[in-house]
Amino acid sequence: MRTRHRLLSALVVLGVVASACGGDDDDTTSTDTPPATEAPTDSGETPTTSPTTSPAIEGASITIALGSEPTSLDPHIVDDGGERAINDNIYETLLARTPDGELIPSLATDLPTLIDDTTWEFTLREGVTFHDGTPFNADAVVATVERMIGLIAAEGTDNAGFYDTLTGATAIDEHTVQITTSGPDGVLPARMYWLKIVTPADAAKDDLSSAPNGTGPYAFVERETGVAIELAAYAGYWGDAPSIADVTYRFVTEGGTRLAGLKSGQYDLITNLPPNDVAQAPQAAAIQGQENPIIILDADDGITADVNVRKALNLALDKQAIADVVYAGYAVPVDGQLLSPSILGHNDDINAYPYDPEQAKQLLEEAGVAGETITLVGESSGRWLNDRELVEAIASYWTEAGLNVDLQTPEFGAYLDVLFDRSNRADAIFVSSSNDLLDPSRQLNTYYSLSGVGSSNSNAELQQLVADGQSSLDADERATIYQEAVQIAYDEAYFAFLVSNQDLYGLSERMEWTPRVDSKLLVKEMSVNG
Amino acid sequence: MGRYIGRRLIQGLVVIFGVTVFVFVVTRLIGDPVKFMLPLSATPEQREARRDAMGLNDPLVQQFGRFLRDLVQGDLGESSYVRGTPALEVVFDYLPRTLQLVAVGMLLAIVLSIPLGVIASRKPGGTTDRVLTTLSLIGLSMPQFFLGYVLMIAFTVRLRWFETGPGGFMNLVLPSICLALPAVGRLAVVVRSAMIDELNSQYVKVAKAKGLTRRRILGVHALRNAGIPYVTLLGWEVIRAIAGYTVVVESVFNWPGLGFMASTAVKNQDFYLIQAIVFVVAVMVVLINIAVDIAYKLLDPRVKLS
Repeated sequence: MRTRHRLLSALVVLGVVASACGGDDDDTTSTDTPPATEAPTDSGETPTTSPTTSPAIEGASITIALGSEPTSLDPHIVDDGGERAINDNIYETLLARTPDGELIPSLATDLPTLIDDTTWEFTLREGVTFHDGTPFNADAVVATVERMIGLIAAEGTDNAGFYDTLTGATAIDEHTVQITTSGPDGVLPARMYWLKIVTPADAAKDDLSSAPNGTGPYAFVERETGVAIELAAYAGYWGDAPSIADVTYRFVTEGGTRLAGLKSGQYDLITNLPPNDVAQAPQAAAIQGQENPIIILDADDGITADVNVRKALNLALDKQAIADVVYAGYAVPVDGQLLSPSILGHNDDINAYPYDPEQAKQLLEEAGVAGETITLVGESSGRWLNDRELVEAIASYWTEAGLNVDLQTPEFGAYLDVLFDRSNRADAIFVSSSNDLLDPSRQLNTYYSLSGVGSSNSNAELQQLVADGQSSLDADERATIYQEAVQIAYDEAYFAFLVSNQDLYGLSERMEWTPRVDSKLLVKEMSVNG
Repeated sequence: MGRYIGRRLIQGLVVIFGVTVFVFVVTRLIGDPVKFMLPLSATPEQREARRDAMGLNDPLVQQFGRFLRDLVQGDLGESSYVRGTPALEVVFDYLPRTLQLVAVGMLLAIVLSIPLGVIASRKPGGTTDRVLTTLSLIGLSMPQFFLGYVLMIAFTVRLRWFETGPGGFMNLVLPSICLALPAVGRLAVVVRSAMIDELNSQYVKVAKAKGLTRRRILGVHALRNAGIPYVTLLGWEVIRAIAGYTVVVESVFNWPGLGFMASTAVKNQDFYLIQAIVFVVAVMVVLINIAVDIAYKLLDPRVKLS
């Protein structure tokens, strides 16, 4: 009997532990109610976790399900979509973009003016404050730029590629600041659409993850690791007051689980809605974003070294059928270039290679490669939407054209090894090219320049054009240079151009929101009905 | 018994150390966290610079020395995925939710499997027995992600009884059922066969002859003797739940526990986090095994712990 008692009491203990843990979680769900209702006098006790807003903003509360939890909430350290989805609402940048991608002023009052080839001057907006009350001024911009330069030097940021031309910043007066670059840098305005401004005090800290503090329309309220992050509208925001008062982010990795939560009313917005699930979502929103899957063809070596073979590989693909079948119609054939229409340098005169399987066959035969083996490498982890189905479709088209396709789809890590192996190029590598800054420079550097991980050519002329495009300070001149560059890349068929798949979002019945070409989730642009 | 536990703990330390070293070597030989840290567009030079800064280009022996030095100070390094956070801290952030899930799931498995097994053993081969045995087989052979989605579609999407993801105790119901069902099947089968053996044994016949009530024979004598194989399997189920099944269940139900974190760490080749997770799980496995041994002793005082 004694032993049985012990077993029983052990079970009871287990039960208590479980229910105690459950109780904890009950407490946290109760924090879903709108916060920031404390009077300003109360805010002194937890200055780092609650905004110093006075009255609560009237408005709805929404829940957004992201595909992954931010790996950090510091706005400068990681390159992470989850981090951006949240910090884009907390922090602001000197410049912003319209939903269509046009560069507009934000914390600056106008687009910058050139002082000399390497100095840009920004006039700053007055009357802007950070959530902790610190005024926004030239000192904050200088401190932010210097923090980024320091992080790059100390190998403390993943974002060196965005900012490696910055050399410093100087405050001219309270609301005027000059930013300098190592050489003429036409990309600088676009970089300032990306660099989030922090306070001078925060700029001195190593990691800002625990207490985000920006000038944006939403202030950080609290975070429960692994579970949720909550933001509330900042009453002191300089712009129009948003209609959503409170937003909670949840992190849901599995697409099926995200959709189930949307359908059950748990979430108001989910990202990466699979095309085949659109009909199941209460509402779906789609936009032609920046996602551009391509097949990199090795122009230096192997059977793909022949430009006619590369052209044949393009002609062999039925782009429209791929858009319709692989992406359920939520994609459009790409017009033969890397840059999407919303980006400077997009060449309107280029059209997609037509689908012409007969000519493809003929070109391959003339090149003497019919029946030969071509290696096509994709990946199998589902890193990009339906990427495996995509490479399988391509493999079957190329097989039809008369090649023996060796299709390899290793898991993502092993795939990266193939992609990064610049010295021993596979014939054809799938990758999905994207463009964060909405500026052509980095994308073309990555995919056309010798040193770029995604390039498979050694065309000096093209490389020069890409370099010139970056250093040109005149937008029209840059556009002309890049148009010429993408024309060469098209003529040389360095890639098999495919389709551009749309960004798809699932929305609850009550949500009203139009997605943006830069795929930013700005809560101030969202509203709910009822 | 104290000396025995002391010895087992020392053996456990050796196992934990061995496992940790093994994981160190394997991750270093086959992985590269930098691949996953920097954006796809980073240049080869930028990747190399990061590897240098992280000490990943140092000779393996030198890296191992540093690892041991930090380990004895209780430092398992900083996670490369959850940036800037000590790996152990990440583990302890996510572990409680896994323990909660495993505790509720296993409790459920115990509460269901014992009566099911006992009922099935009353008339071996009878209709009840056959129905229960078939159900057990279905339970233990159902893939957990499939079971998970079926439960979710029925109870979350259609009926809207439960939410997924972390939240109140109610949110634990579906994932614990999903975690428990296969275990219920296996455990019930063990209870059934052990009970059949016991009920056919000499002492039960004597007890019956003595006129003891059926409840007393079943509840006190037979069940207690059936306890040894049961506890053995239960320990194994708990270990498998902590070190395996929660990976699937937590992903499907968006339950941010250690299993979910483990798959994230592996996907991102986060050496430090993988090491910390393996270390903590190894500690738990050693402790569970010791607990099982102690349970033997409690169930049957004749068992010598040596």
